[in-house]
Amino acid sequence: MTQLTAVSGANRPIVSLTDVIKTYTLGKVEVPALRGLSLDVYPGEFISIAGPSGSGKTTALNLIGCVDTASSGVVSVDGQDTKTLSERQLTDLRLHTIGFIFQSFNLVSVLSVYQNVEFPLLLQRKLNPKEREQRVMTLLEQVGLDKHVKHRPNELSGGQRQRVAVARALVTRPKLVLADEPTANLDSVTGQNIIDLMKELNRKEGTTFIFSTHDAKVMNHANAVVRLADGKILDRITPAEAQKAMAAGAEGH
Amino acid sequence: MGQLKLLVQVAFRNLFASWVNVIIGGIILFGTVLVVVGGAVVDSLDESMSRSIIGSVAGHLQVYSEKSKDSLALYGNMGGEADLRVIERFSDIKKVLEQHPNVKTVVPMGTNSTMLMSGNTVDLTLARLRDLYKQAAAGETPELRAQIDSLKTHVRQMIALLEKDLERRNALAAENAMDPADLRALERARSQEFWDGFEKDPLASLELLENRIAPLVTDGDMVPLRYLGTDLVNYQKTFDRMRIVDGTAVPEGQRGLLLPKFSYEEFFKLKTARRLDIIKEARDVNHRKIAEDPELQRRLKENQTQTRELLFQLDPLKTQQAIARLQKVLGSTDTELEKLLVAFFTMDDANFDARYQQFYAELVPLLDLYRLRLGDELTITAFTRTGYARSANVKVYGTFEFTGMEKSQLAGSLSLMDIITFRELYGYMTADQKDELAKLQEASGVTDVAREDAEAALFGEDSSLVAETSSGSIDEDAQLAGSSQARRQQELALSKYTQQDIDDGVVLHAAIMLKDPDTLEQTMVELQEASKKAGLPLKVVSWHQASDLVGQIILVAKLVLYAAVFIIFVVAVVIINNSVMMATLQRVREIGTMRAIGAHRGFVLGMVLLETTVLGLVFGAAGALLGSLAVKGLGMAGIPAFHESLYFFFSGPRLFPTLQASNIITALVIVLGVSAFSTFYPAYLATRVSPLQAMQTDE
Repeated sequence: MTQLTAVSGANRPIVSLTDVIKTYTLGKVEVPALRGLSLDVYPGEFISIAGPSGSGKTTALNLIGCVDTASSGVVSVDGQDTKTLSERQLTDLRLHTIGFIFQSFNLVSVLSVYQNVEFPLLLQRKLNPKEREQRVMTLLEQVGLDKHVKHRPNELSGGQRQRVAVARALVTRPKLVLADEPTANLDSVTGQNIIDLMKELNRKEGTTFIFSTHDAKVMNHANAVVRLADGKILDRITPAEAQKAMAAGAEGH
Repeated sequence: MGQLKLLVQVAFRNLFASWVNVIIGGIILFGTVLVVVGGAVVDSLDESMSRSIIGSVAGHLQVYSEKSKDSLALYGNMGGEADLRVIERFSDIKKVLEQHPNVKTVVPMGTNSTMLMSGNTVDLTLARLRDLYKQAAAGETPELRAQIDSLKTHVRQMIALLEKDLERRNALAAENAMDPADLRALERARSQEFWDGFEKDPLASLELLENRIAPLVTDGDMVPLRYLGTDLVNYQKTFDRMRIVDGTAVPEGQRGLLLPKFSYEEFFKLKTARRLDIIKEARDVNHRKIAEDPELQRRLKENQTQTRELLFQLDPLKTQQAIARLQKVLGSTDTELEKLLVAFFTMDDANFDARYQQFYAELVPLLDLYRLRLGDELTITAFTRTGYARSANVKVYGTFEFTGMEKSQLAGSLSLMDIITFRELYGYMTADQKDELAKLQEASGVTDVAREDAEAALFGEDSSLVAETSSGSIDEDAQLAGSSQARRQQELALSKYTQQDIDDGVVLHAAIMLKDPDTLEQTMVELQEASKKAGLPLKVVSWHQASDLVGQIILVAKLVLYAAVFIIFVVAVVIINNSVMMATLQRVREIGTMRAIGAHRGFVLGMVLLETTVLGLVFGAAGALLGSLAVKGLGMAGIPAFHESLYFFFSGPRLFPTLQASNIITALVIVLGVSAFSTFYPAYLATRVSPLQAMQTDE
């Protein structure tokens, strides 16, 4: 296993998984999703999790995102062991520390673009209306949707929607943004744009990104690619290595 | 703040987002309309009924002795009259009650009921003949003789008709059901010898006819009579809804009876005329058609088959006149009156109005339209508290009705009587009368009953048309207590009474009118206490309670309404519950996303509850508006009383409901309560949606 050093100077990982096992119970059958996964992610990293379907990508992201709990092992986010946190504290952790970008965008259909982006700020109750407006408008400008504030999600294209979702994920200035297959529902050009946008925000704000993808082109933007297979980490490699490995895999078939 | 604003916005935008919400909204709307309209109608019903009850008999409050076995039922109850303990002296309670500052008037009362026999046609004619013979005894004139002879011919004609009737009846009956004694009497009355010998002892001959022949004619009716004995002058001043229709009020200090117009028409009017009146009203007011209405057809048929009442009434001279008039009207040459009548009463929608008018113009002048004429005396036989029969003769001064309740059978079944006669029938007399009675009894014990009195004792009161028919009990009474007839006549001669007499005698209950009806409840309690303190414990009841079954009807109406509302909202709860559940399931991903990006459970709970509340408010408000408009519309057009029995409750032929703020508030409170209640479980489920749901992909 090749261990890469952290990009930024911080030496405390923002996400740390140690021997994490996750088993789903489907009826009487126990389905292992993760079988002892260990992973550290440092602040400012832009990491891609790769692997075939069923390798445990989504499960790993869910555990990091505090929307699911491990069967055993330690998941710690921003220095807190998630097992010791209450449901309420987990929600607060998600609200203040993590931003989510979903494969299917998951915007609230009855709310406008502006309101969708403002939504997490309203949940946080930290900013006054003026600050909120500034923050929302800044982000909408960054994602290039400042002309569409009043539109409803169903009036936008897929790429525009995902850009709204990116703005929503980043509006609270989270330390960590999780994105599960953010480009899977988009065409390759649009997907490329979204990744570029994420990368830009990573560079400007130093936000840590962890995203899962199948797409080799998307992987290319990452600092590191964590490859999963059968619920375990296969290796942690550079995008170039990943590219090669995938090409070899394709030849192998 | 921002959060709440967002939630409200989400709620409003979700309002029409789903057809499920539209269904829920529809139910809420319907429910609200029902509560508003139903509430307004029931409240107005309550109000109009209270007007009817308070303004006609009950007053605001009724008092009666606390020792009474039953509770007061002004409109009677199923088991007959309520058994009330008498209050010995009205003035005692009057004094106590009138001390209360809120009491305006106290009116003494007593109610009782009995049956009357309305006289049959033969009886009426025989009574007239008897009158003539009496006059003749004083001095016969040729004129009188002519009248007597005419009436005698009439009676013979009636007997001939009767025999024909009986023959017809016997032909139909499988076995001969006639009493042989009756047959013999009829044969005798038909015989030439009987009429030849009539003048030798006219009264004895009349007796045979009255006792033997008249009962064979079965057109006399049992008439139920409920009467309210009261201080008539005071009553009329206090109860403003009472109005004299025909005749006059009973003069102050006089004994007398006022019949309700409704009963007078129903029981004493010529049946043929009454049936025509009913048909006319059904056609004119309710726009019913004879051709389509079996009930009207039946009444017309009865007019054709029951012509005997008319035939009996017509003496030979009038029979000829009637034949001539009918021949002209019908353009017929038939000479038999019965056939002419049948032809005349063959009516349909086309000729009804003309025939109705012809009936009153041509036939009625030949007939007695009412079997009891105003100014006549009526013998009322009733049972006293202790159960023995007592009779009193009262003059019928007039008829009355309660404004707005002219057609109400319930309001039109209570006659008004002076309280002195009432007490007598109930078995109580004033102190003076008791003295008088003692003297009379002493006197009658030593002297023989005068011939006049004896005759009266045998045949009932002179000139009383009904006395003879309701004979059984009277005659027994007379035989049991030989002096009672004499006493009664004596009393009638002394029939003037004073306010003192009214106030000093017994009453069963009393009506109280208040100055300020709003403090009714409080006044009730205070009066009850005051009476206890005075040593005359009274039960004080509101008009609602006093009217017993009738008063309960509003309660029943309310219960029915509330039951309907309850059922609708139970259904609503189930449907809303299911719908919100479905809506929640449809939104699992949205809720999961909110949870994932940091919404707490409380937020989700608030969101779902607020959405249903907004739904309830919007559709509830729409329903309230719609309901208010409906009530306004009804208030202008009025709800027609589709049956006469409703007139009483509507205080007239139409109910004009009015809207009160309380109706709308109640409706909104119920709607919001129901929508909140039915959303709790789905809202709870929504809080259990896992943020993991956000991670599901579309595939």
